[in-house]
Amino acid sequence: MRPLRLAWLFFRVGALNDLQYRANFWLQLLQSAIQLGTGLAVLGLIFSQTLALNGWSAPALLAVMGVHILMGGVIGVLIRPSMERLRSDIRDGTFDFVLTKPEDVQVLSSVREIRVWQGVDILVGLVVLGVAIGQLQESLGPIEAVAFGVALVIGALMIYSFWLVVTTVAFWIVRIDEIAELFEGVYQSGRWPVTIYPEWLRVSLTFLVPIAFAVTVPAQALTQRLTPETLALAAGFGVVALLVSRAFFRIGLRRYSGASA
Amino acid sequence: MPEPAIHVADLRKTFTVPVREGGFLAAVRSFVRRQHREVHAVSGVSFEIAPGEVVGFLGPNGAGKTTTLKMLSGLLYPTSGEVRVLGHVPSRREAAYLRQITMVMGNRNQLQWDLPALDSYELLRAIYRLHPDDFRKTRDEFIELLDLGDLVRKPVRNLSLGERMKVETAAALLHRPQVLFLDEPTIGLDVTMQKRIRSFVAEYNRRCGATVLLTSHYMADVQALCKRVIVIHHGRILFDGELATLAADFSADKTIAVTLKEGAPERIDFAPYGEVLGSEDGKVSIRVGRGRAPDVAGRLLHDLPVADLTIEDPPIEDVIESVFAGASAEAPERTPEPAATR
Repeated sequence: MRPLRLAWLFFRVGALNDLQYRANFWLQLLQSAIQLGTGLAVLGLIFSQTLALNGWSAPALLAVMGVHILMGGVIGVLIRPSMERLRSDIRDGTFDFVLTKPEDVQVLSSVREIRVWQGVDILVGLVVLGVAIGQLQESLGPIEAVAFGVALVIGALMIYSFWLVVTTVAFWIVRIDEIAELFEGVYQSGRWPVTIYPEWLRVSLTFLVPIAFAVTVPAQALTQRLTPETLALAAGFGVVALLVSRAFFRIGLRRYSGASA
Repeated sequence: MPEPAIHVADLRKTFTVPVREGGFLAAVRSFVRRQHREVHAVSGVSFEIAPGEVVGFLGPNGAGKTTTLKMLSGLLYPTSGEVRVLGHVPSRREAAYLRQITMVMGNRNQLQWDLPALDSYELLRAIYRLHPDDFRKTRDEFIELLDLGDLVRKPVRNLSLGERMKVETAAALLHRPQVLFLDEPTIGLDVTMQKRIRSFVAEYNRRCGATVLLTSHYMADVQALCKRVIVIHHGRILFDGELATLAADFSADKTIAVTLKEGAPERIDFAPYGEVLGSEDGKVSIRVGRGRAPDVAGRLLHDLPVADLTIEDPPIEDVIESVFAGASAEAPERTPEPAATR
């Protein structure tokens, strides 16, 4: 698998890079701790008033929070850095170096930059998930575990597709620096299962910015709320998202090289 | 005759760029109804370069040099015309083609900023799928040729501009490309570092038989490396031939330098011989028409106690300048009316 091998090579280089900056590790740890602390405080506040929120118990919501932090870590380590690099490469003209390499441009652009310290969120997310699973009434069987894993991978691929589409816009509009902050803002809504939101917002968070698939669906798998139909829908939508984002990226490339003019 | 390494026929590239007047109102008008105009960056360029040839690509800023290089390396899609490099159509960006070329841009870096160059070299080895033994051999050869020593073990951010350019150049050639596109490879470097990069390119060309197309504002680069130059201005070729004949074709003048014997009268009027360019340490430089040079030299030798006399072409920078100046005066108006609005 050439893309995975390339990703591994860049991961190694990214790790070498980040290991030089130990202060970033402590900053990231502090940030994760603050995020976890506020999340737990809000959950505590809610469940001091009620026993369930829209059918979700306290441990189930803790599981949602765990997936949210975990997925946030995956985005921070693997997706966002390469996309930001792609954007700056297009702006500064260093994208030419990517284009002259004998590799698939999308693959190379998608693995070029990795931020290791953001991985703290992945660990914190896993710990929160472990605690949530321990508190859940339902036992977690192998089928749920596999469904969770599959849903998580599909969710990550969808978020990647979303980032790729948004970043590709840089081929037309060079200054889209605020996109990352905008995404972070929207991503915060994934702390809660999207089923608690009104329909218009639920649909937007499912199909426009695929946060429902990235966070709620994997959490549903863990809490035995996931139906095979939802997982199949996620897989289908994931494939479509990947294909559409790739097609859009290629249109962007043609624009960059003047082939579409 | 062997197949040319680079074949370019009637190559054109037109960009559509937004235009607006200065000022607030114009900005608002442009926001509502944007005006565009076409810029013909390259307009009908044709040339061929044989395998192993080193060619200098000269022209002022905005002449179309970089646009042409980008079309040759597959970065830009031509508006029309034909390009073939090593038998490939560059804009298809086939992996087999990209493995055989390289592009060096003097003002841009591809190495990982915070890591020693050796780590970036490893990454390039994987991207170009080089055999570890071949890679090590080439890398060590370049480290020696460019006198890189420990530079490859220091984080790139700690290197000086010249040192960085050396490790960048080595990185760009690790896969032993057959065609080199060098866009201002020595820009901003001091003279010693320029020489080092220059001799490295020459040595690489000698060892690998690679074809090199070089753009540079430093004529020393061109004089040291290129027998042949292509002069481009306003997207058109003005001259394609040997560097040595450029002066003969484009400069109507010669410079005669005269040194008089000791004891010669101090106040001599050289004006009747030609235009006096200057005098320094007893050496007087006179500009004369190319055809009159032998005659004037004969008169000088006859009239004055000459110790030394040379007839030279003007410096190549002056020749190039006069080429561009002449072309600007003759060039038709290239800026068309706004072509489209949207």
